[in-house]
Formats: sequence, structure tokens, C-alpha cells
Amino acid sequence: MEDIILQNISKDFGAFRAVNEVNLTIKSGELFSFLGPSGCGKTTLLRMIAGFETPSEGSIYLGNQDISDLPPYKREVNTIFQNYSLFPHMNLFDNVAFGLKIKKRPKAEIKDRVQEMLKLVKMEDQAAKHPDQISGGQKQRIAIARALINNPRVLLLDEPLAALDLKLRQHMLIELMDIHDAVGITFIYVTHDQGEAMSISDRLAVMNQGRVVQEGPPDDIYERPSSIFSAYFIGETNLITGDVHKVYDDYLELHCPDGTGKILVLDSSFHKPVAEQSRITLSLRPEKIAISRHKPRHQDDINMLKGQIEDILYLGSHTQYIVRVGKLKFRVFSQHKRVYFDDKALDWEDDVWLFWHDTDTWLIEDNPFEVLADAELDDSGNLKRYVKRSKI
Amino acid sequence: MPQSREALQEKRKNLSSWLLSLPTMIWLACFFLVPYLIVVFYSFLTPDIYDVKFEVSLEAYRQIFTDGYLQPFFLSFKLAIYTVLICLLLGFPVAYYMARASEKLKNTLLILIIIPFWTNLIIRIFSWRIFLSYSGVLNEALIGLGMISQPLEIMRTNLAVILVMVYVYLPYMILPLYSVLEKLDFTLLNAAMDLGANEVKAFFRVTLPLAVEGIFAGTLLVFIPALGAYLIPQLVGNQRSLYVGQVITYKVKNIPRNWPMASALSLTLLLMVAILLLIMYAIYRRHLARRHY
Repeated sequence: MEDIILQNISKDFGAFRAVNEVNLTIKSGELFSFLGPSGCGKTTLLRMIAGFETPSEGSIYLGNQDISDLPPYKREVNTIFQNYSLFPHMNLFDNVAFGLKIKKRPKAEIKDRVQEMLKLVKMEDQAAKHPDQISGGQKQRIAIARALINNPRVLLLDEPLAALDLKLRQHMLIELMDIHDAVGITFIYVTHDQGEAMSISDRLAVMNQGRVVQEGPPDDIYERPSSIFSAYFIGETNLITGDVHKVYDDYLELHCPDGTGKILVLDSSFHKPVAEQSRITLSLRPEKIAISRHKPRHQDDINMLKGQIEDILYLGSHTQYIVRVGKLKFRVFSQHKRVYFDDKALDWEDDVWLFWHDTDTWLIEDNPFEVLADAELDDSGNLKRYVKRSKI
Repeated sequence: MPQSREALQEKRKNLSSWLLSLPTMIWLACFFLVPYLIVVFYSFLTPDIYDVKFEVSLEAYRQIFTDGYLQPFFLSFKLAIYTVLICLLLGFPVAYYMARASEKLKNTLLILIIIPFWTNLIIRIFSWRIFLSYSGVLNEALIGLGMISQPLEIMRTNLAVILVMVYVYLPYMILPLYSVLEKLDFTLLNAAMDLGANEVKAFFRVTLPLAVEGIFAGTLLVFIPALGAYLIPQLVGNQRSLYVGQVITYKVKNIPRNWPMASALSLTLLLMVAILLLIMYAIYRRHLARRHY
């Protein structure tokens, strides 16, 4: 069953198009995320579902009902605001009770429901406190209780963890998932944090410049990014661009003009046929690459490159190597539980072999919406980061 | 025995703050406290034709509560309450609009609110006289437009007094309201509407309670001067029903003078304001206490 259907939604602020022809269907009970950099339109989209903005074009459906023109107070949708927006002049009980008091429910019912909600968010003994007397994490819980007391069909969460510190964020993330399981309604979660979105979502939509770039389950987007933007926004990746030199029966030969030379790729990862002489871009995640001082014998000279270690970043659970191959720099993550291939650890300036499994490369499709102008390139021409931090 | 560094520092700080406030203290003592004590002293004396006889008497106070002197108080309170209410009703939307305006517009509007202060009060009141008078701008315009056939008699009525009072005191209401509304987090209104409150309910349950401090401040700033209003009723009001301020002035201006009466009236007014302030302060404290249990 579908809970929220966004049909061809666009939103213009003057000449600026914040949301551009978005079509999405969010299923009932799903935890769905809008993920994208600041200014990508994710919050505007959320505000349109909540009713604080009206779409310039398109319709929003809640179930079968077109809610595009309903005011916020007539929608069965509630919101957790970024800064929680608890009422400072009311204690926590009155904050949570607000929705029911507006509906003029009987006092006994209000009391029971508030207790129930406070229990759900583990704040039952703090009802008399005021918002300025509790911590950020507790404010978060109260905001959740206040929104859920109305029995909404959909709960909207606008960067709910942005104001919390890292440890608390991880803790609240798990708690949010538990609450989602407990109440069983649809959650729409807006974030710019790919880690949050990946760990919490059933499905997510990656957004950029007002458009949905890719939509799907987190692992799907991570393993099979449809665009350079998706590949870079979710996790880190290495991009290999080259011309298809020759297509063999079960692999193709790729020639890279940037100096990496000849790569032979088994084409089992391709979901559509590739023509000879066409230019293609492959995404190769850093953790998929094995690194060794010795040339791997079992690779048949396929999917391997020779390079030199330029930088080593020790990151606790893993080490990140920056390896120069021709003009390109490759990022390689090496887990520390791995048994080293070498008798001694790798060092700066070491000549190393990079190799990977033939299913680990992924062909990035041409995306008509892709705007490369935003990409930040480092001095060797590598795509460094895609994220723009400007706020509108 | 040498003093600890903290104690020494503390002592120096106390001394310097005491020295810094000394000029103000002397000023207030000379020109506020001493004159007030003279007023208190005079209120217990016996009137003479030009001056006072130094004979103790409670006659002035007796007269205030028996000889119809309460009527001006009643009028003044009525005027002050009307002025406050109208200023509040007119000022709130203006302050609200200013608070939500863009940064640039905010400053422009603030300047527009302050500009009238650049012109002397008496000149502004006289402009109102010209505007409201029997053959004044307003009447001429209304007759010219064919809306009335006879000029309206607005000048020298209580309506004219309230009109000009509101005109003069409106900024004193708008500015404190603006300062609280400007700090108001408007996403709270979004939150209220998200939770089912329509615009009206959101206003009464969120905006208004959070603007209480501004309402209190504005009310005080308008109410207290309005209670002692003299200039405006004198210049645009009718001279049959007098406000307290006018009565006090007449007592010292007209011969035979009655200094004790003027003093006693002033002190009674002061006392009433003080009591009112205490009541409002208590209400305000209770309001704050409710916020922080």
C-alpha cells in the first residue's frame, strides 16, 4: 500500500527552482530518507508534505487523498523539526499534550495518552520539566512524543539528529528505528548525512539540485550507483574513465587515457551491452580493492593495476592508502583484520599492486541530470568531493 | 597579614562600582528625592492665597476622598486604559509585521516609527488641532468628498484626546512588542500548526504567551504617562471634564493657589501607580513562575 505519492512535484522560489519534477512513491510503514547536500531541495520537499509550502506544480497524495492544498493542521502528518521547536512556555507534559488539547479531548484521555507517549520515549518521570531544563537528546524524545500523540499516518523528520553529538546521534538512530518498529507508521527522514541515511532507511532517494538522482534500498545505491553524484555522495569511490578498446566474449579491454594504461574488465558487472570505442566510467569502491607488494598470480592480468603508495592514513579500524597509478590517484581501504599478504607492513613510496574482483566495478550510466560543474577536482584531476555546503 | 588576592580584587571592584554610581546617586538625591520629600511635606500643610501656611493639616487628603476629586482620577484611569488597549490592538500587528520583515525592511520601519520623535510634541499636538478642528483639514476633506454636510465636532472632545494620546504613545507600545516578537522563533508557529492548531489557535497558544513580556513592558510605558497626561487633554480636550494632570496644574496656577491640594493629588496618583505596578509585577512574577515551575 502506498502512503505518500509525490506526483511531478516542482517548487519555485522566484527564479530559483528548489524542487524539480520529483516523482516518488513511499510505501506504508516504510522508513524512507531524502538524502542530499544542503540546498538540494530535500527540506523543501518535506515542508511541502507537511503543508508549510505549496507545490508550484504537481500533487501530493496521502493514501488516495490529494493533500496538496490542505493547510498543515488538516493533514494526518506530523513533523519533528530540526531544532525540535518545543514550546518554551509549556512544560514537557503540556508540550506533548498540545495536539490533543487543540482537539479538545477529555482530560483523562489526554493524561493517559501523554503518559503512554512519554513512556514510549523513556521520559515518563520528567513531565514537569521545561524544555530549557533538558538536554538535546531529551528534547528530541519529547519532540517525537509530541508528534506521535496525534497518531499521524506519516512522521516527517527534518535532520532530527543534526544538533546532537556523534555518540548520542548513533544512540538516537537506533532508538528512532526501535520507535519506528513500535509504532509501525511511515517515517520520512531528511538528512545530509549518508551514514545516517544508509543505516536507518528501508529505501532512500538521493537528491541533487532539486531532483531525485537515484532511488532505492541503501545497499543498492551503494553497490550500484547510477551517477557520479550518487557514487560520490554515498561513501567514497574511485572513478576509472576509459575507452572500450575491444569487447571479448566475457570481458572487455579498457584503455585509460589518464595513464593507467590497459585494464581488462570482466563484463559480468554490466547490465547493458557496451559498444567498442565508447567512453565509459567505472566506479570502484575503495574497500573492494586489495593491495599487495606482490603481483597476484590468480588474476590472469585482469582487474589489476601497478602503482606507488603516496599517502597512508591510519584510521583505527582500517587504513586508507592513496596510491598513484599513472595520473590517477586511487583510494584503497584496508581492514586491519585482514591477514597481510606481506611479511612487513606497506610503507610510503612502496610499489604495490591493486587488484579486485570482476564484480566489484560498476558502470555508471549516463545521467541526463548530472551537472559536473559542481564537482570539486583536486590537482591531479580526480573528483574530490561533490558536496556543496552553501545554504539557501 | 596580607589579604588574599581575590578579596583585594573584590574590594577594588566594589569600590569602583560605588564610585561610578556616585554621580547618578547625587543627581537623583538632589533633583528627585529631595523635591519629592518637599511635595510630601507640602501635602500636609494649609493652603494660603499665594503660598502655604506652615500649619499641619490633613484637609487636602480629606477633600480628595470626599469632595468629588475622585472624578478626575476616574477619567484619567479610563483614558489610560483606553489608550493602552487601543495601542496594543494597533501596535501588535505592526510589531508582528516588523518582526517578520526582511532585515532591510525592519530597519526602514524602525526609522519610520522613530521619526515622529524628531518633532517637538507640542508642534505635533498643534498639527492635530489644525487637522481635527471645526474648519480643519479633516472636515474640509470629508465635506469636499460629500461624505458629510456638517463639519464634525471632534476637537475638544474626549475622542480627540484618545486619538492624539494613541498617536503619541503608539511607538512606546510597538517598540517593546517588536523586541520580543523579533526574538520569537517562528518555527514554533509551524510546530503548532503541524500539531493541529489553525492560525488563530496558534496565535493564542504560542505567539501571545511568548509575547507577554513585551505586552507588559509596552503597557507600563504607555499606561503610566497616560495616567498623568496633562498637555494633550489641555490642548485638544474639552475643558468641562478635567483629568488629574489638569486639576493638579490648576491648583498651582489659579489664584487662590492650593499647594497642599496639588501635592496631595500628585502623591495619591503616585500611590495608585505604585500599587498598580506592584499588582502587575506580581502577575508577571506568577507568569514567570509558571514557566519555570
